[in-house]
Amino acid sequence: MRKITYKEALREALREEMRRDPTVFLLGEDIGKYWGGAFKVTKGLAEEFGDERVRDTPISESAIIGAAVGAAITGMRPVAEIMFGDLTALAMDQIANQAAKIHYMFGGQVKVPLVIRTPFGAGVNIAAHHSQSLEAWFMHVPGLYVAAPSTPYDAKGLLKTAIRGNNPVFFCEHKLLYPIEGEVPEEEYAIPFGVADVKRDGSDVTVVATLYMVHKALDAAEELEAEGVSVEVVDPRTLTPLDKQAITDSVKKTGRLVVVSEDCKTAGVSAEIAAIVAEEAIDYLDAPIKRVAEPDTPVPFSPPLEQYVIPNEKTIIKAVKEIV
Amino acid sequence: MVTRVVMPRLSLTMKEGTVGVWYKKEGDNVEKGEPLVEVFSEKATYDLEAPASGVLRKILVQEGVDASVNAGLAIITAPDESFSEAEISVEMPQAVEKAEKRILASPAAKRLAREHGIDLALVKGSGPDGRIVEEDVRRFIEETRGILPKVKEIIPLSGFRKTSAERVSASFRTVPHSTVVMEVDASNAMALHDKLQASYTAILVKAVAKTLAEYSIINSTLEGNQIKIFEDVNVGVAVATENGLVVPVIHNADKKSLGEIDAAIEELTQKARQGKLAREDLTGGTFTITNLGMYGVEFFTPIINPPEAAILGVGRIVEKPVVVDGKIETKPITMLSLSYDHRIVDGAPAGEFLRKVKGKVEKSFEIEG
Amino acid sequence: METGLTREKIVGMYRKMLEIRSFEERVFELYAQNLVPGTIHLYGGEEAVAVGVCSNLRKDDYITSTHRGHGHCIAKGAEPKRVMAEILGKQTGYCKGKGGSMHIADFSVGMLGATAVVGAGIPIAMGAGLSIKLRGTDQVVACFFGDGASNQGTFHEAINMAAVWKLPVIFVCENNLYAMGTRQSIVVLIGNIADRAVAYGIPGIAVDGNDVLAVHEATREAVERARKGEGPTLIECKTYRHKGHSRIDPAKYRPKEEVEEWLRKDPIRRFKEKLLQKNVLMEAEIQQVKKEILTEIEEAVKFATESPYPAPEGALEDVYT
Repeated sequence: MRKITYKEALREALREEMRRDPTVFLLGEDIGKYWGGAFKVTKGLAEEFGDERVRDTPISESAIIGAAVGAAITGMRPVAEIMFGDLTALAMDQIANQAAKIHYMFGGQVKVPLVIRTPFGAGVNIAAHHSQSLEAWFMHVPGLYVAAPSTPYDAKGLLKTAIRGNNPVFFCEHKLLYPIEGEVPEEEYAIPFGVADVKRDGSDVTVVATLYMVHKALDAAEELEAEGVSVEVVDPRTLTPLDKQAITDSVKKTGRLVVVSEDCKTAGVSAEIAAIVAEEAIDYLDAPIKRVAEPDTPVPFSPPLEQYVIPNEKTIIKAVKEIV
Repeated sequence: MVTRVVMPRLSLTMKEGTVGVWYKKEGDNVEKGEPLVEVFSEKATYDLEAPASGVLRKILVQEGVDASVNAGLAIITAPDESFSEAEISVEMPQAVEKAEKRILASPAAKRLAREHGIDLALVKGSGPDGRIVEEDVRRFIEETRGILPKVKEIIPLSGFRKTSAERVSASFRTVPHSTVVMEVDASNAMALHDKLQASYTAILVKAVAKTLAEYSIINSTLEGNQIKIFEDVNVGVAVATENGLVVPVIHNADKKSLGEIDAAIEELTQKARQGKLAREDLTGGTFTITNLGMYGVEFFTPIINPPEAAILGVGRIVEKPVVVDGKIETKPITMLSLSYDHRIVDGAPAGEFLRKVKGKVEKSFEIEG
Repeated sequence: METGLTREKIVGMYRKMLEIRSFEERVFELYAQNLVPGTIHLYGGEEAVAVGVCSNLRKDDYITSTHRGHGHCIAKGAEPKRVMAEILGKQTGYCKGKGGSMHIADFSVGMLGATAVVGAGIPIAMGAGLSIKLRGTDQVVACFFGDGASNQGTFHEAINMAAVWKLPVIFVCENNLYAMGTRQSIVVLIGNIADRAVAYGIPGIAVDGNDVLAVHEATREAVERARKGEGPTLIECKTYRHKGHSRIDPAKYRPKEEVEEWLRKDPIRRFKEKLLQKNVLMEAEIQQVKKEILTEIEEAVKFATESPYPAPEGALEDVYT
């Protein structure tokens, strides 16, 4: 099968959906002809679809999302890009109070089919305002779906589902994933939300990982295999809805759980997953649940500082070894 | 040198002991190894020897007083040596061993053990800190296959059964039970039964209630260091139901006629079998009667229904040969067994109580009203 | 009257204003009887704005609204009985009791909903304008917000975007002089919010918000520009709320003289006097209109009070489609 990058996979999804449905349009800062998006995801799309449908906006995050909300409730399917996940804080009211709640608050009268794409993640030395992983913020808002693909295949399939769906979707990407290559079929496909993917089969310990950490977990699993420890890597792919079944099924098989997530540990993605397993599958646990996450600090700038806080193969291996 | 004399552990399970006679008084010289004080536990008496030579400077625990294992009992010092208050009060570091050691086992191991009815205390753990993991239980099951009995079914102890189990074991564990038994001639009771169509249980309730009113030490409960004697005589009657045993109470049974008692028993039994007993039907009992005669039981040793002081067990009525005026006759005989709280009364008063009950049953017509 | 409006249209506007006033007075009474859960923000006194604006709109045009939104709903054509039912938390309300007084929407008449976060509706209205532009229709959006909202970042972000993209949005600032209890002069240096339009390169106009015909005329021009693709307008309507910010607010921060002055400028009374003076309506007709409206509102109250509450477990529905 052909291989393309995560970034190309996202772009393909956008292009195909824009061709298929004239109500799909993009808006965001520097996503148009001149730049093609800070991470070049939308590069070339303005040329094909024009400035109206690939719309450069002022630097007004709140109004970008507000515009998407207003358009979504009046018949359009906007896909908004927020240049860095950290900047979603500027648009939080529009995301959490408006986009997420309108369907509910108005008694189901209207649907809000919009997608907010944004990259999270540390590792490229751009410090505290451009490196956070804030997925958990959005998991905490009922009414939003939260997608978090880790591979080109998942990125394309999930983005298509996000655009076609009738609910607001917070679509988490990761800066370090954009150049990653993976197999993506030429033919049409979409990936349903709420269906996890077992990225690697194993029998001794379940590692649930998200976004870029899926790759770190797979690296760790490879090393552990050599030492005789069989690791199963489960990627939830969407955090809301979360495929609890797949996670608990895996834990029932292995009896051990390590959750790896790049966000801060306290009240983070890993906390939620650990809680679900404690609540629904504790009788299958043969060891304490381990969480590998960033410490509760902002992301620092200097490379040694930054590398210190990001989970990696070594910290994952250490956590696994503590419980097998 | 300051030496603390401490309460020794006289048995593996001993948690505290009692100080008996001090062989020395404060200020006396003591030699290491000579008997210093008598201590006793529930199992043994022991002369504790002086752990060091010197002067018995201070006795910390007086005669007749309890002290936990390792508690300081006295201080021995060299003559004129000073010692601080801290040295008196500081307990020895090794704490009293926990009576029940927590078994470290993973939830998965616990589940598997539960499913197979395995006592985790028998399983050796291979995990960190000796934690029993699922694999250990699985191995144990393999190894013991054919040795331990195979479990057919596991019925979780829940709801009513669980409450009942807790109450019974609490009673059995905390109340020192003793049982006295007497044969009772039931001729008159049978005649009364035939005449009034009153149940034997009602007749017994009436006999017991009247006796309790007269002989009230049994109509009591032990609370801490005091025996509380009740004014009201509320007799409970054990009723077997599908869900287990319940004990509805006939309040002020001593003031009710036999007919009233009979009607009350009938009503409460019905309610019990239909699960319709109200809270007030189940509370306030001061004594319980349990009749297993209908199951062919001759006699048994019932467990006291806490916080009551005693319970009367009733066996079946059976024709037995008895000697009357040198001749063998047959009479309908029933056995009454009284289990009582030995902390409240001893055997003699318990026997006296039962004798009075026997008397009333044998002269049933006197209690008819 | 030199308005270019038909008699039917003018009477209809008067009727709508009266309908809103009567509706709000009944809500006030129901609140006093503890029949309204939570709080309420009444529109009484500002009717000329909602009616003056919405009388220019077609059914397929949109509006967005605020926490003080009952008047906007009715002016845009929502049924009073379903608005009332929503205020009372009933299953028959527009939002099945999930929104309440501060979150009423009726998408069937283009009422895109009231948001209770001050200023949050401004970008949403702009987005609806963007949608219109992308779909290529000639609809317009009227965005209602207060003087308080004009100090939110969303005001700046959204008007700027609407301006630069020439979106068909009429930004209607209902300046009732107070943001909750804070007088405008304490938080804004300029006298007219409308002057801010200059900064975005769009027309801005301040009108007497208690003169329904003045509001109508200003909006008419703005709607015309918008439909022609000439972009947004900022209209500031100077008005006054008769009651406090919310039901519990006695509004002691407003000078007595100021309140009295504005009560004299009551938009309904002024409009009525004008109509009588110009012989558009006779007193008897006015009484007839009043009677009809009171009957209608009573029916709405009856409908709402007799409607059932939603089933509690309905709370779990409608989170997602």
